[in-house]
Amino acid sequence: MDDRERLALAERAISDGAADSIEALVSDQHDSLTRFTHNSIHQNLDSLQTLVQIRAVVDGRAGWASTNGRDDGDLALARNRAIAQARFAPKPIVPVRLPGKATYAMPQLPYDAATADTPPSARAEAARKIFAVAEQAGAWAAGYVATATSSVVVANSNGIRAAFSGTIAATNTKCVAPIASGYAEAYSRRFADLDTTAVGARAAAKATDAGELGTPDIGDWTVIVEPPALGELVAFLVPHFSAQRIFEGASFLADGLGRQYMGENVTLIDDYAHPLFATCPFDGEGSPTERVTLIENGIAKDFVTDMEWAERLERRNTGHYVPGGAEGPYPRAVVVQPGQRSREDLIASTKRGILVSRFWYIRVVDQRKAIVTGMTRDGTFLIEDGKLKGGLKNLRFNVRILDLLSSCELSDETVRTGGYSYGMVCPAARFDRFSVSSVTSY
Amino acid sequence: MTPVQFEELAGRALETAAVRHADYADIRFEDARSERIEVRNGEVIALRDDVSRGYGVRALCDGSWGFASSDDLSGPGIDAAVARAVDIARASAAVGTTRFGMAPGDAHVGTYVTEVEIDPDRVSLEQRVDLLIAAEYALHVNPAVRTGRAHLDVWRTKKEFFSSIGSQIAQDIRQIGSSVHALAVGNGDAQDRGWPGDRGLYMTGGWEVVARAGLIENAPRIGEEAVALLSAAQSPSGSLDIVLGGSQVSLQIHESCGHPAELDRSLGWEANFSGTSFLEPQLRGALRYGSPLVTILIDNTLPGGLATCGWDDEGSPSGTSDIVREGVFEGFEMSRDTARLIDCTTNACVRAQSWQHVPMIRMCNLNLLPGTHTLDQMIDEIDDGIYMESNRSWSIDDRRLNFQFGCQIGWEIKRGKLGRMLKNPTYAGVTPEFWGSCDAIGEPSTWVPWGTPNCGKGEPMQVGRTTQAAAPARFRNVRVGVGYDGR
Repeated sequence: MDDRERLALAERAISDGAADSIEALVSDQHDSLTRFTHNSIHQNLDSLQTLVQIRAVVDGRAGWASTNGRDDGDLALARNRAIAQARFAPKPIVPVRLPGKATYAMPQLPYDAATADTPPSARAEAARKIFAVAEQAGAWAAGYVATATSSVVVANSNGIRAAFSGTIAATNTKCVAPIASGYAEAYSRRFADLDTTAVGARAAAKATDAGELGTPDIGDWTVIVEPPALGELVAFLVPHFSAQRIFEGASFLADGLGRQYMGENVTLIDDYAHPLFATCPFDGEGSPTERVTLIENGIAKDFVTDMEWAERLERRNTGHYVPGGAEGPYPRAVVVQPGQRSREDLIASTKRGILVSRFWYIRVVDQRKAIVTGMTRDGTFLIEDGKLKGGLKNLRFNVRILDLLSSCELSDETVRTGGYSYGMVCPAARFDRFSVSSVTSY
Repeated sequence: MTPVQFEELAGRALETAAVRHADYADIRFEDARSERIEVRNGEVIALRDDVSRGYGVRALCDGSWGFASSDDLSGPGIDAAVARAVDIARASAAVGTTRFGMAPGDAHVGTYVTEVEIDPDRVSLEQRVDLLIAAEYALHVNPAVRTGRAHLDVWRTKKEFFSSIGSQIAQDIRQIGSSVHALAVGNGDAQDRGWPGDRGLYMTGGWEVVARAGLIENAPRIGEEAVALLSAAQSPSGSLDIVLGGSQVSLQIHESCGHPAELDRSLGWEANFSGTSFLEPQLRGALRYGSPLVTILIDNTLPGGLATCGWDDEGSPSGTSDIVREGVFEGFEMSRDTARLIDCTTNACVRAQSWQHVPMIRMCNLNLLPGTHTLDQMIDEIDDGIYMESNRSWSIDDRRLNFQFGCQIGWEIKRGKLGRMLKNPTYAGVTPEFWGSCDAIGEPSTWVPWGTPNCGKGEPMQVGRTTQAAAPARFRNVRVGVGYDGR
């Protein structure tokens, strides 16, 4: 389907007049992912789905229903279920309203047709290049090469007609050598830009450079985290910038905007149009998404809203609605602005510290205080006198993220990183005081 | 359900796979309905009814797998999906050296339907919403309860599975879950309490499961406890004896036994994401995993188990098998292709989140057998310790050894008696040492099939539904207070 066909499908879905207002969100998702381990492909898939989500509003009350059927009967069934739910729902304090007509500022080059059509043989060849590098290093590789096309259309009875298509290509690799493992990743809008040989080589070098693994002392360390690690850490701050979380009192921002929460060198922005994101310019109800400065020079400036939370809190709508609505608005393209010095300079100016390639299983220990615990994995190194001095066993940490960001230095280059539930653009960072709680046996 | 609604399309798919020289193929159709209601502070904030229908095709060609899914239920749509699966498998076979195969398996023909006492379809939307509004309202015992939530999930999945070895299976699986949750805010702090357990009570079955959850009856206590936690003493640090409530023991089994016993992890198939395992095939029958009290079994026939069904998603029949027997590691959760690599047969632990997702090894029903102690006896035998309930935080390393968990609430134990309430209790350890310190497990009346509806694994990430039945248990000399002690 193209945008025109998706819009036509959405318009068919909202064609009935039984609701006061009605909205359809059509999402078309095509995921292709080639997964490998021990230098062979063990999972390889291609998945297509078109989903139609309908929100009906009756007397200020909303009901939701969805279907992946596309004929008129399927759409009518879903529409009628949504209307029936809306008629039944108790009236909310803030009546549900759908947004009106809007215009959108499209990001640059979000879609690459060649990436959308990448055949499995091309993904396999990209994986083979990683295998070759790993074998040469005496290691084996586990990871994936993936492409995805995400298309979304929102249409509502108030005249919203919004359409967007974007592609993403990604690879990640863990190289496993006899003693240690190493990690590297890459993201791009274009599959052709993924250099899997380079990604494999970075991961393999980390695995083989480690040597015999040392055991770090328990206590406070100077720690340099590479972008995948900083991204995962900051991802646990992102929910704090939701209007709902703040209203509930579970965000550190419940103490108020305009306060200094982090160092003056830290600025966080939600920016869907950043060249490394180039993602959808509207939210799940078709409101234009704003570029929102969340933290500027360490001071809390703003948070994100949607139609409902803008009205509840008497603020502007920043266009961050998430379909379903139960968890409230959410930032979806957070950028950590870069600093002044290179990653290499940060290492060279560290007398004694630890370099972390990647974190694992970070979880919230205390949500209001933003205390988290987690582990390192796949490339943890000792730094002495400005040089990497070999690998370390993995360590557990307990840190307050705001404390880390209050005393940190950021590198001068940002990259796209991400996990299963977030995307982020960020640099590397050096934290002055990072608390190591325990150490693993490997 | 119509037992073989998709037989004709399945025949076309398997024939197409054969024509394209697939060595093995299967096709799994799913027709799923998911209903969710969520109430927050007196308002219904989610009232959803989602349906999804489609199929996934697996093809094994030249020792490599391909998987394609589609919602196009036309004949040409089936042809195209099978062609994609075969093409993907051949692309996989063109690189790498490992060749995959299947452990022997029989063809199965049959149907399975979840037993339901009270059909949720007979419970009106009005009754459902009324229950949640009343339960959520009952949380607000004090203005400090800033946010109350109550929710209900009702899931029905009809599956049909057909394979090139002749299996033809139809299943109609019903799952349901509900919970209440209070967030209290004050004194610069925020404290959560949930019931039942931390995620709710999720089981296979019908409305009787919601009745068993006791939402309205327990909501006032949960609200009161959330508020009391705001002024409770900080849980201490050090090394103490602890008793864990049943739902926390369930989480402990899930993270430190269920995941490491997945054979795909042990073989490195999840190495780049979900991680590997300290449990290796050569350690079966030799590794001391826990104390002799600890026996952990797979039982995918357990009544009410969230993963209970007739056959798994590659057509193997549900049964029981040992993971840990009297403290000794005995076996893995397996699929047909991984079982072959350690000369075993599968124990039917393959699941896919939906028709869109590739089937893979998932933790299913994995249960710690009950012991003989009452909760009072466990506490009575402690001089200085903590009783902890309901998970709040969970983190474990990528081989499933070094863990740190936090609970929503704790109580001091002094000289055999429960004392004052404690906030932010945490504990940490290393898996075999921790289970080795287990010296009491609750008796059968305290044993509950705790379901987890949102277990993540795989790339792309899949959400699995699993049960770890458990009773309260006692562990000696455990590190506590981590995360709040400056370390």
